[in-house]
Amino acid sequence: MTISRRHVFKMGIAAGLAVSIPSVLRAQTTPTVGQTVRMVKGDLRVFDPIWTATNITADHGAAIYDTLFSLDSKFMPQPQMVAKWGVSDDKKTYTFELRDGLGWHDGTPVTAADCVASIRRWGQVHPGGQLIMARASDISTKDDETFTISLKDPLGVLIDILADLTPPCLFIMREKDANRPATEQVTTNIGSGPFRFNEALAKPGASVTYGRNDKYVPRKEPSDGLAGGKIVNVDRVIWDNIADQQTALAALQAGEIDYLQSPPVDLFPVIESDPNLELQVLDRGGWDMMVRMNFLQPPFNNVKARQAVLHLIDQEVMLRGAFGNPKYFNTVTSIFGDTTPVSNDENTGWYKKGGDPDKAKRLLKEAGYAGEKVVILTATDWSAGDNASQLLAASLRKIGVNAELSSMTWGELSTRRASKDPVENGGWSMFITSEPDYSLGNPLASPFLLANGDKAWYGWPKNDEYEALRVKWADVESLEERKALARKMQKVWWDFVGDVRLGKYVSPIARRKTLTGLIGMPQIVPMWNMQKA
Amino acid sequence: MAAYILRRMVSAIAVMAMVGVFVFLLLRLAPGDPAAIIAGRSATEEMIAGIREQLGLNDPMPVQFIRWVRDMLGGDFGTSIFAGRPVLELISQRLEPTISLSILTMILSVTIGVSFGILAAWRTGGLVDRLLTAFSAFGYSIPVFVIGFFLIYFFAIRAHWLPVQGYVPIELGIGRWFVHLVLPTVALSLGYIAFIARVTRASMLEVLTEDYMRTAAAKGASSYAMLFHHALKNAGVPILTVIGISFAYLIGGVVLTETVFNIPGIGRLVVDAINNRDYPIIQSVLILTSGLYVLVNLAIDLAYTLIDPRIRY
Repeated sequence: MTISRRHVFKMGIAAGLAVSIPSVLRAQTTPTVGQTVRMVKGDLRVFDPIWTATNITADHGAAIYDTLFSLDSKFMPQPQMVAKWGVSDDKKTYTFELRDGLGWHDGTPVTAADCVASIRRWGQVHPGGQLIMARASDISTKDDETFTISLKDPLGVLIDILADLTPPCLFIMREKDANRPATEQVTTNIGSGPFRFNEALAKPGASVTYGRNDKYVPRKEPSDGLAGGKIVNVDRVIWDNIADQQTALAALQAGEIDYLQSPPVDLFPVIESDPNLELQVLDRGGWDMMVRMNFLQPPFNNVKARQAVLHLIDQEVMLRGAFGNPKYFNTVTSIFGDTTPVSNDENTGWYKKGGDPDKAKRLLKEAGYAGEKVVILTATDWSAGDNASQLLAASLRKIGVNAELSSMTWGELSTRRASKDPVENGGWSMFITSEPDYSLGNPLASPFLLANGDKAWYGWPKNDEYEALRVKWADVESLEERKALARKMQKVWWDFVGDVRLGKYVSPIARRKTLTGLIGMPQIVPMWNMQKA
Repeated sequence: MAAYILRRMVSAIAVMAMVGVFVFLLLRLAPGDPAAIIAGRSATEEMIAGIREQLGLNDPMPVQFIRWVRDMLGGDFGTSIFAGRPVLELISQRLEPTISLSILTMILSVTIGVSFGILAAWRTGGLVDRLLTAFSAFGYSIPVFVIGFFLIYFFAIRAHWLPVQGYVPIELGIGRWFVHLVLPTVALSLGYIAFIARVTRASMLEVLTEDYMRTAAAKGASSYAMLFHHALKNAGVPILTVIGISFAYLIGGVVLTETVFNIPGIGRLVVDAINNRDYPIIQSVLILTSGLYVLVNLAIDLAYTLIDPRIRY
């Protein structure tokens, strides 16, 4: 067989055609995407924002459901679905009247009965909601647009709790959906919010699509935080679940998506060097990282051992190891976070730049530590936490602690952390987790600020003096009173060391510069107000 | 032949049953709790316990197993723990992308792989053979995610010829469907081209040294007739086997390509389900995939009779 020049020429033409056909086809078939925003936020696995406390489901909830109250940019609660509200002179009865024009996506009107059912369902799972349910003597409708919450005793923080942003948030659902137990998932996705969920285009795990709710009547007030008018400026929003971050960034660079929720830190320089892209911190509060210690097992059932860890930690080293870029992290010494109104500096003398390993060693000796194995659970699928766990183990070993890392996925860690057994029987000593800074401003809503033993969050810290102060939170009304109470609580907390803070980090989102108007608030990234050029 | 097919179908059911039991036990014995994943990082023990109860995860394992088998025999493959939707609906959403990618990959791989193999065998020891052997080694060794990102960078980001990622159903336009599959198909095909080319070359080399090939050459048969009528037909059985196995492997093994190019296929579905401990999805996909493997193997066995009349069942 011989290959002639003519053959080569023919093959060249064929190859050229083969290469050019895809771009020709693409040019002919690419649809108009002017008013469609494509976002990569993660994998929306669960659609019921009461059934789960995950942030992405809270985002979904904020899109399709509405709330009675919303927080403004100063974290003050403002009426949203509510037109008017009032409280009786004895401060035991709250009356709420819904505003006009509220309607479900199925065409039926929103009624007070929907709100009552929604409060009852949410009250089964939200710590603040549980407090309301415990204090309430009656929650009932007066007519189609009015309902009341009657309390056995006054609850000064009631409106703040109703507006709380810590998932699961109080999203108002249809009565027939909200009548389900909170442990049973609602899958209908019919709300009264500014976006409608497009069931036909929903591909769980791959992509979900939201359309503008043309019948939504926004409030007249200008948008302010999550409060005010929810004006939708785009026709459609699609959430793509792109599992690989490198691919997601390539798609952002190519203009196939407009928004990337959590770009990895090592790709920040690529984003910063692209003239079409921008990094933007939406949640300035960010997340606080902390070490939970097991109060039930040695050595951390001894307060001196916990104090040793408190003095040992060098927050800057931990943060640098976990996140790299100091532009996006800072140290934190308040149990109430860094940006909340009740954050304070009470009893923070333990903080020392670089930590104090000598003091930690002394405290460990005073605790009678005798080389017991300390098991640190670490989730390898959360790289920042895993990096910090490695550093924690190394720091502990330096002062003579027999620290052992136990690596697993976060799912496995979620199971193992429930074990109260000794480490020899599958228990644990420490693990690192994180919590939104915002949530730490409310000790009634955040499980991380409980110290009531068995009822507390994993680690089961117990301190009666602290708890006696914490329960008073429900009854104080003014910010000044809360600030004073917060100082007292923090003083006790850092003495018994309920946990150890490793610092705070913020995660910027990446977006194309053509996408503007994003609202920066903690926990939730709303889709109203944004615009695409 | 009919009896043979029937026997194989029965064996397929037995294989699927064994896979079912194995997967069920493996998932329950592996650490991890879907309720904890659903509830979220900050969830309380109470919240997780409530979800476990509602999902029936607190029931004894035999009770869960019997419930699952009973539902499946009735055609109900269950509901996704997370999405709350029927598993079969979720699987059917993911079938088209995976099948599209698999078919295009097989077309490209077989066309180029067999051609390269024949060419290399025909010019054995020469420059073409050495070049094709080097290409095969390269294609076989380079991971799909490396070639994937390489293609994305040059053809999508730099040249803007093709999209970076995603999948468009064929019903929305064959052009859009095709352009979204070009890069993933090329990335995925490299390994298969190399594999098929190597097997084809080896089979052809074996046949080309047979006496009847020399006889054909002595009788003046053309190169075309010798290669395609005499050699390829006799070298066909191992090549067909490799192609069949490759196709079966493709259906369940495209997960890396689906991840790199964000194609919402079966591979992504099952990997996400494993990460989330979404038991009904994992069980159903693995059972259906095992059945598919058996059927593909059966199809290969039957195809042997078409190219080799000596084979009879």
